[in-house]
Amino acid sequence: MLRKIAFASAMSVITLTSAWTASASAEPLKVVASFSIIGDFATNVGGDRIELTTLVGPDGDAHVYEPSPADAVSMSKADVVLVNGLQFEGFLQRLVEASATKASVVELTKGVEPIKMKEEHEHAAEAGSDHHNHGDLDPHAFQSVANARIYVRNIADAFCAADVTNCDIYKANALAYTAKLDAADEEIKTTVAGIPEDKRTVITSHDAFGYFENAYGLTFLAPEGISTEAEASAADVAALIMQVRGDKASAIFLENITNPRLIEQISSETGVKVGGTLYSDALSKAGGPATTYIDMMKANIGTIKAAISGS
Amino acid sequence: MKSLLSAASALAIFAASPITPAHAEEKSAWRLFVSDHAQPIVHAIDMETGHKIDTFTIKAPTSLYRSDSGRTVFALQGKGDVISALSSGISFGDHGDHGDIDVEAPKLLDISFEGKKPSHFVDHDGDIALFFDGEGKARVTREADILEGKPAIREVATDAPHHGVAIALGDHVLVSEPNAEKPDELPVGIRVVDRSGASVGDLHECPDLHGEASSGNLIAVACAKGLLVMSVGKGAPAIDLLPYAGLPEGKSTTLVGGRGLQYFLGNYGPSAVVLIDPKSENAFRLLELPTRRVHFAVDPVRAKFAYVFTEDGSLHRIDVVAAKLDGSLKLTEPYSMDGHWSDPRPRIAVAGDRIVVSNPLKGLLHTIDAETFEQTADIAVEGRPFNLVAVGGSGETH
Repeated sequence: MLRKIAFASAMSVITLTSAWTASASAEPLKVVASFSIIGDFATNVGGDRIELTTLVGPDGDAHVYEPSPADAVSMSKADVVLVNGLQFEGFLQRLVEASATKASVVELTKGVEPIKMKEEHEHAAEAGSDHHNHGDLDPHAFQSVANARIYVRNIADAFCAADVTNCDIYKANALAYTAKLDAADEEIKTTVAGIPEDKRTVITSHDAFGYFENAYGLTFLAPEGISTEAEASAADVAALIMQVRGDKASAIFLENITNPRLIEQISSETGVKVGGTLYSDALSKAGGPATTYIDMMKANIGTIKAAISGS
Repeated sequence: MKSLLSAASALAIFAASPITPAHAEEKSAWRLFVSDHAQPIVHAIDMETGHKIDTFTIKAPTSLYRSDSGRTVFALQGKGDVISALSSGISFGDHGDHGDIDVEAPKLLDISFEGKKPSHFVDHDGDIALFFDGEGKARVTREADILEGKPAIREVATDAPHHGVAIALGDHVLVSEPNAEKPDELPVGIRVVDRSGASVGDLHECPDLHGEASSGNLIAVACAKGLLVMSVGKGAPAIDLLPYAGLPEGKSTTLVGGRGLQYFLGNYGPSAVVLIDPKSENAFRLLELPTRRVHFAVDPVRAKFAYVFTEDGSLHRIDVVAAKLDGSLKLTEPYSMDGHWSDPRPRIAVAGDRIVVSNPLKGLLHTIDAETFEQTADIAVEGRPFNLVAVGGSGETH
């Protein structure tokens, strides 16, 4: 909690001192997005009016990302920096300090109703492990399309504040993209409705799908906590194996950002076949099934349903 | 997974919060461990008071290294054929929402690692690898086991005695490959071996191997034509050569790794340093120095800065983002780089908000305010204070 308060305080200072001045320049707005999903949102809202740099790219893991001096240079030149917040980007504060950026650092989860991390991992953190703490709130709010709409609205507001001249374009883009999000949301709900209720418990590597769970009525179990930085305890893994053996979990999945070894171990010990890869904290690389946020959400639910249907 | 955010800076964040539980007290503690150039001693100095806490007698004059956790200081005595371990007396507990600091007296542990010509110490997430040139062997152990007084040691042997290095990464050890025809020359590559000692994959060629550092999940080893950059995940490391590009003829032979930002700082010729950002298209940025370089170090708290001391007696601050010297401070009389490489010359350490530079010929430690880059008090140390490491941070006490 103390670290979180200190960080929030630092971010407030950044926002208050940043230059929220309107720019009538024909130059595109220089935007830094902390990771690929936010980069996709920014592209949809900003279109060709922005020059985008994404720090943590496709298949990258923002939990453990190591920023470079080149990232600090990008930050120092940015007009707007878009971040998730809720302590998702553990590297952010040092990067902001190193870059001495004067950009507005905008937390896109502002307005989201945050959920708490799952109880078992909260207790693990309290027990004082050596691993870094990522707060008691789940930062993966983007795993609900309803929250994605809030991200998009916040991005449009940030772009309008930094570039009044093109505000109408940003708002129109946001509106059009939100309509696509609404359609994707409905599609996911329809797909979930086709999954038997007693088959809606699945296993992934880390607790990235809490908001998906709340929004769409599936249950996700994971050996690792909110952050991939934390290793799963032997007891966590053993408990999960017991659940799978007790037929309480219908399918088991890899994640694009995590090491597959743990999931493969659980699969091997239980005989439950790995049902595919879910995209948790990052889009896929070009040519993959999740190169955009909407494709990612559709790919995830498609993979889940296919695995459960075959189980 | 190792994080770039050092213990020191993480704890600085804890310290920044104005809210603390009523029963907890905020405490800062920084200690310097300083070796003498000629005597077999290590001083422990309280940085808050400038007073000496204790002096430990070892077998031979030593170079010093600290573990990543800061709990242990290793004294490599090349001419004593032994590595001694000291408990710094400062340790931290990460309790998620706050960090605790525990401060005890430093002590020379009843544990040492004997072997011919110890040369390199490498810590990676508590896996300690100690290399002994005179045997061509590495001894690998865990810091936690050392502190418990029961280190389980496994040896990794190479084909011949040579000036080498080893890096322990969980189940794997990266170890230098000697030059088969001329083992007294620098190694020719890096080999990955598993717990059984069997090689994993082919030799990774690295002629003239000398210089190793880690920054976050990357490890770099300097070679004649570039750097071998190893990406550490949860399996065997991925290793790629990053050729020197856009640089004049030359090579790095000493590397240090960035903390807070992922980069490496290396020497490059006698009067320059090179900033290396392996993930950038423009990976190498050369910084010419006013005179020949004596020593350099990164700032583990202020990620933007590194420091280099030059033979004219000046300490320079490097802005690693802008790749330029952004401040210089005259601290000592000139220390010429003519003469033997191991002559007593200044060394740099960063202790929280202070930069410390040893001045062996004057028996002084100069301290500099890291925020203002202005010189503050000197600390007098008997003899010729030479190598130094800083350990400490802030936390709560209960």
